[in-house]
Amino acid sequence: MNRLNSKVLEEIVHKNADNTSRIVEQTHGYVVSENNGALVATSFDNTTAQAIVKHVHDNFLKMAQSAIRDLDPTDKLCFMRVATRKFEFLVAPDDPFTITVLL
Amino acid sequence: MSAEIEDIIKRFQNYPNVVGIIIVDLFAIPIKTTMDYNLTVHYATLVSNLLSKASKMVHSLDMTNELTSLRLRTSKHEVVIVPEENFFIIVVQNPSE
Repeated sequence: MNRLNSKVLEEIVHKNADNTSRIVEQTHGYVVSENNGALVATSFDNTTAQAIVKHVHDNFLKMAQSAIRDLDPTDKLCFMRVATRKFEFLVAPDDPFTITVLL
Repeated sequence: MSAEIEDIIKRFQNYPNVVGIIIVDLFAIPIKTTMDYNLTVHYATLVSNLLSKASKMVHSLDMTNELTSLRLRTSKHEVVIVPEENFFIIVVQNPSE
C-alpha cells in the first residue's frame, strides 16, 4: 500500500514537471513530503530536505493546523508563509502530501 | 511605545478587509484589541505559542536566521502575525479574492 502510494505520488510529481521546473528557477528550492513525514521529491540535497521536513512539517505545521482548528472547528489551514530575514517558507498542506517552497 | 501601537492600529484599521487587530505583549497578554475579549484572549495564547515554536524552528534550521512574519491562510480568513521587539501584532483579515 505504501509503495503504491509513493508510486502514485511520483507520477503526480512527474506530470507536474513543468510547474516544478518553473518553481526551481525562481526560488531556492522545494520539498514535497507525505503527511507521515516521508520525503517524496525535493530539489535540495537529502539532509537539508529531511531537516526541513522534520522541523517545518512535523513540528510546526501540525501545531499551526491545530491552532486554527482550535479557534474555529470548521476552519482549516490552507496555506502558510513563514517569512525570515533570509528567505521565506511557503507551505501548502494538502491531503496526500505537503509542498514546501523556499523563496 | 503606546504611541507606536496606536499608530499601527490606525494604519491597519483603514484597510477594508481587516476583521480585527490584536496587539499582544511578550507574556501573551493582549494590550490592545479591536475584537471581542474572549476571542482576543484565545488568539493571543494560541499565537504566542505558535510564534515561539516558529522562531525556534527557524533558529534550528539556521542559527543566523530570524523570523520576521508568519501568515496563516485558512479557508475563512488570513491571520498575519508580526513579532516586534516588545510585542506581537496579530491582524485577522478577509482574503482579497
